[in-house]
Amino acid sequence: MARLMARLGRGAGVAAAMLVAAACLVAPGAFAKEPAGMISRDDWAAYSARFVDPSGRVIDDANGRISHSEGQGYGMLLAYLAGDKAGFERIWTFTRTELLIRDDGLAAWRWDPEADPHVTDINAASDGDILIAYALALAGEAWSVPDYVSSATRIARALGQQVVRREAGRLVLLPGVTGFSVGERPDGPVLNLSYWIFEAFPVLARLAPEVDWAGLAASGRELLSLARLGPAKLPPDWISAPAGRPLAPADGFEPVFGYNSLRIVLYLLRAGIPDSDVQKAILNNWMVQNGGMPAIVNIPTGKALARLSEPGYRMLAATLACAIDGTAIPADLRRLQPSQYYPSTLYLLSLSLVSEKYPTCLR
Amino acid sequence: MSSLRVLLLILVGAAAVPAIGQQLASPSENGAAPAGAATTPKVDESALRFFAAQGDKQRLDAEIARLRALYPNWQPPKDLFSPTPDQDPDIPRLWALFAEGKFSDIRAAIAQRQASEPGWQPPADLMERLDEGEAARRLVNASEAKQWASVLRIATDTPGMLVCANMDVLWRVAEAFVRTGTPQRAKDLFIYILTSCPNPQERVATAQKALQLLDGPDLDAVLARANPDNTPEFAGLREDLLRMRVGRAAQDTTLSVSPGDIAALEQLARNGSVADDALVLGWYAFRRGDAARAVDWFKLALDRQGGASAAEGYVLALAATGRAQEAEPIAYQWRDAGASNRKAYIDLMAGLLATAPPPRLEQSVVARFAPVVQEAKSATGAQALGWYAYNTGQIRTAASWFRTAVQWAPADEVSAYGLALVSQRLKDTATLDAIAASWAGKSERILALVSPAARRRLASRAPAIASQPAPISQPTPMPVSRPTAATAAPLPLNGALPDRLAGYEDGPASGASAPRGAPCSSAGDAAFRAGRVSPEEGLARGWCLLELNRPLEAINAFDIAVRDGAGRTAEDAAYGKSLAYMRLGLTNEAQVAAIETPQPPARAVTLSADLLAQRAIAAYRDARYVEAILALDERSRLAPEQQDLMSIRAWSYYHLRDFVSARRIFTALRDAGYPEAGAGIDAILAVTRQVRS
Repeated sequence: MARLMARLGRGAGVAAAMLVAAACLVAPGAFAKEPAGMISRDDWAAYSARFVDPSGRVIDDANGRISHSEGQGYGMLLAYLAGDKAGFERIWTFTRTELLIRDDGLAAWRWDPEADPHVTDINAASDGDILIAYALALAGEAWSVPDYVSSATRIARALGQQVVRREAGRLVLLPGVTGFSVGERPDGPVLNLSYWIFEAFPVLARLAPEVDWAGLAASGRELLSLARLGPAKLPPDWISAPAGRPLAPADGFEPVFGYNSLRIVLYLLRAGIPDSDVQKAILNNWMVQNGGMPAIVNIPTGKALARLSEPGYRMLAATLACAIDGTAIPADLRRLQPSQYYPSTLYLLSLSLVSEKYPTCLR
Repeated sequence: MSSLRVLLLILVGAAAVPAIGQQLASPSENGAAPAGAATTPKVDESALRFFAAQGDKQRLDAEIARLRALYPNWQPPKDLFSPTPDQDPDIPRLWALFAEGKFSDIRAAIAQRQASEPGWQPPADLMERLDEGEAARRLVNASEAKQWASVLRIATDTPGMLVCANMDVLWRVAEAFVRTGTPQRAKDLFIYILTSCPNPQERVATAQKALQLLDGPDLDAVLARANPDNTPEFAGLREDLLRMRVGRAAQDTTLSVSPGDIAALEQLARNGSVADDALVLGWYAFRRGDAARAVDWFKLALDRQGGASAAEGYVLALAATGRAQEAEPIAYQWRDAGASNRKAYIDLMAGLLATAPPPRLEQSVVARFAPVVQEAKSATGAQALGWYAYNTGQIRTAASWFRTAVQWAPADEVSAYGLALVSQRLKDTATLDAIAASWAGKSERILALVSPAARRRLASRAPAIASQPAPISQPTPMPVSRPTAATAAPLPLNGALPDRLAGYEDGPASGASAPRGAPCSSAGDAAFRAGRVSPEEGLARGWCLLELNRPLEAINAFDIAVRDGAGRTAEDAAYGKSLAYMRLGLTNEAQVAAIETPQPPARAVTLSADLLAQRAIAAYRDARYVEAILALDERSRLAPEQQDLMSIRAWSYYHLRDFVSARRIFTALRDAGYPEAGAGIDAILAVTRQVRS
């Protein structure tokens, strides 16, 4: 079975070499004035100089400098939020030519610069496809690019055909096309609740209305509530959701609330959901148990295995605190300090949310 | 009809590709001049001018060819190399990026320019070339990932890239047609290439691709497109075609090749200096049962550095011609070259060692086998070492090896039987009873070791006790080292002496046999040794000794009855003698004995059938698979083939790599509920999945 996106490598510090800034043919100053600009030009320039190479490849510097559909989708979404049409085109070009090659119209999830051919796992990772389609749809509508919208539509339909499925009595989002279903695993379906990017579902519903995105959102909310497991009542990264049995950490994965699950908070907030029971459990764990820092928590014991002091991770906790009780974002978290791809990505998504929805936390 | 239109028709015929109908009106098609129109089309020549300015002759020519394909009435401008003062300075830079394949940079630059200068449009030709360049890259990526439907979809979406200048892309599209089950479209595409593309190297390479992907009339149709000049364009490919045909037939015995093809390849192989052709011929001969010829070809291949496959074939073929001992050094030398080589070595040694009577082997040959068995955890090897030790009187060592074999393959009845047999001889009733209990209802011969009733039942159907070699003396039995893992208390490597004493406690340790326990004759042993016994007494004593599993002595007893007796007594004695020889695995002697005295017709038939069964079994264990099948064929004219013999037949075909025949029999056996058949089918699948060249 493809073990998608095991994020445990993300704690390790790998210094990222500064990438050559993207070749500029035309004098800068051409950033769009569209309303999407919730990420500052400086922050985005710092991010893309560090994690986006000239070919449009978003580099996961903590995972052997590979690229993946999730990173490409994040990159496109951030470029859109920064109003950077050129950067968006750059990342999309790589995504389209290198990853969007599957027969079913979804993206291959893993691309390794050291391998030949570069695609080392043709399986899809559904969160990557959701991010790519979502970013294309937003950019296509805001910037009036019909090709973006039609590409987004094709991906949204393919998602509906391949990974949005009724399994074990629920409408679920399979994490990949192969390897996770009831038919493929004894403890199937195995799900990753951090693949439910709730803010994208209404947008994808406009493109592929034949898919029950609202039902998928509802089942995601229900699963999140049921997935509060162990003493800390936190959702594990990888969860087994068999018919007629309670949810449990999936076999073969570390039973942790880890690098995957910690972004659930952000996704819910970005979708306008500030007060679900799972967010309360996470807030309690971060603020009360771990001194304001996100933590990797062992599900069976409820004990923290690591506290994540990186600014990108702390920003998640600060954003949650801001959304729930208006706590101001600490001064050291008001600018991107690019460290590694993943926390930097979460940082920019958090900051864009706060600046758009909770500007008072930045005063 | 323009060649582009031909190509579109080929692509559109790919009904598997969705939404293709809409693709007919592709941008390039729209831009093309209507056929026969006299007006000069408006052709974007910015790429031409850029390549000309760069002095990039190759790209310039490719672009001219491309534009000509698109616009048949178009002529390249005369002033290509004169400067063009009107240029937007970004345009040459974009073309420069294009020439470097930096598609993402071009896309970003265009977006940036358009953001700062709304309404700005890049040259249409650049956009078209960019689309095609990206599509080609994406198509290659999809093809590398074996996403064949995706390959066809990309090709259909961007037919403009399907030109002679993108030969690699054309070949990948052709492969995608084959992989998606429409080889005739691949044929059409190859023909399109050979009709439209002039580059000689690429034409030959195209024919080679066709050779790999097509066969039969489709392939012939492609090769017929050779340029009709003096020397046939694809003459060199005839040899490749020949190699491929014989190579496929070597893999699959259901394919036939003409004797002319074989002779031609043999000629090539002899005249050449590389191993490949000899190797193909070796496998071809071997899998068609001509092991002797295969030996010669494999030898040639091996001499020409044919590597692991040549070594494997050589070993198998030598073994199949009864030259297993000769094969052993090669098999040993190549044992680590691959899984097949290791298996060939272990099977070869197993065949050698499990023969009864044991062959004379160099001590080093036996000694160096044991570590390989240990490392490979081969139950077959362990069992063979068990039989060898048993047959040479090293009973305790035999017990260790059988125990090891049982550990590695608990479901293997032969290993369990071996362990039960030696346990009985060692009076290890605990082990014996445990084995008998776990095989209750599954193995009659194991039951027979603990149950006299079962023994009688089995004896009445003699000689079904096939693989039950009795320990017999050998002048200098080769000591067998014991398995290291399975022995609780390690014994000296040369544990032969104590073993022999232990093993021979009830066996003929020397010429003077002194049966203990129940005497087998009312007459005294001395009288018997002096030959002063009646034929009837000799016959009775023979049966008795055979019952005690002491066939050598039984033969002596039966001999008296044959020599001195008459009528029924002599017949019975001859029959008993041949059974005793069979018990020893000496089938030739058994046959001689059987015809010493005319047998009643019914028994003669039974005896012959049994003899042939024994001979087949012996040949099989000796890895002489062709002979095993011949014996079974002969036997099948006398008596119906039981399931165990069918199984041996199937395994013989298997070892001869005739997987089609093996599979047919295993399937029939499986359908009849024969338990071992599944293992045979699995083994075939495991082997046939590996493509051998």
